[in-house]
Amino acid sequence: MRETFASQAPWYVAGPLLGLCVIAVLALLNGRLGVVGGFSDVVDRVSERSLRLGWKGTFLVGLVGGSLLWALVSGGRTGDGYGWLTETFSAPFVALALLVAGVCIGVGAKTAGGCTAGNGLSGNAFGSRAALVATLTFMAVAVGVSFVTKWIWGAGL
Amino acid sequence: MTRLVAALVGVVFGFTLAWSGMSDPDVIRAGLIFEDLYLFWFFFAAMATAFVGVQILRRANVRALVTRERITPETLRPERRHVGGSILFGLGWAISAACPGPVAAQLGQGILWSLATIAGIVIGLTLHAARERGRETAKAGTRPASAVGIE
Repeated sequence: MRETFASQAPWYVAGPLLGLCVIAVLALLNGRLGVVGGFSDVVDRVSERSLRLGWKGTFLVGLVGGSLLWALVSGGRTGDGYGWLTETFSAPFVALALLVAGVCIGVGAKTAGGCTAGNGLSGNAFGSRAALVATLTFMAVAVGVSFVTKWIWGAGL
Repeated sequence: MTRLVAALVGVVFGFTLAWSGMSDPDVIRAGLIFEDLYLFWFFFAAMATAFVGVQILRRANVRALVTRERITPETLRPERRHVGGSILFGLGWAISAACPGPVAAQLGQGILWSLATIAGIVIGLTLHAARERGRETAKAGTRPASAVGIE
């Protein structure tokens, strides 16, 4: 079992499994699965000095736990680098770059009403045209920016 | 019950993200520079599966099993904010080679770099909330009370 989970899941297994989560949240809760909503829920509750999370918050807690479970079952990944960033830049710069990227992700996802999960998976599955526009936009920008950084600094893989 | 069910689905979601390598920035970067298309196959397989299931649920006109609400998958018309916000989001995704789900999955695996990204996300959410509050105040100050909340 350890080997099964230690190697990357085939996309035709992992993809449908992720899609089933979107269906489950709708079928069970009439909810739109998303992750940024969970972050908002946690931040709002913490700022109110309360830990009474809504379902989006408990979904996020479950997500963190599910990833931990995978690490326990598979043995996790080794190495303490962070992909192309630590291959290319010094540690303090990487931390700063991730902080700035996080701000872009937070403001951007809230403004656009969803992230890769909320708009990209759920919104498109719901047939929302706003989600389609959002998805095409962030895909195009992410691919474009990644190619620009590859030309300047190399792939870093 | 609602919270517990959401947490359990979250466990499956997090496990799948980790198993598919989405918490590994190399996997996402390799996708975004078209060196390994796994990211896109995975994403489209997930979206297609969800799309079929959601459309069946919509047509079945049934109630949600736990909350007993009538199932209503919300659709929205595109607005400028969907483009503007997603430009910023795409930029952050490309730099960090992670988005909110994978970042949370990194945290679950003890990848400490995720703390920097999460700190940024929290700052971003706070900035967004402050901007929204500013807009509300501006609206309330410049328009008759009856017009507030139309947008």
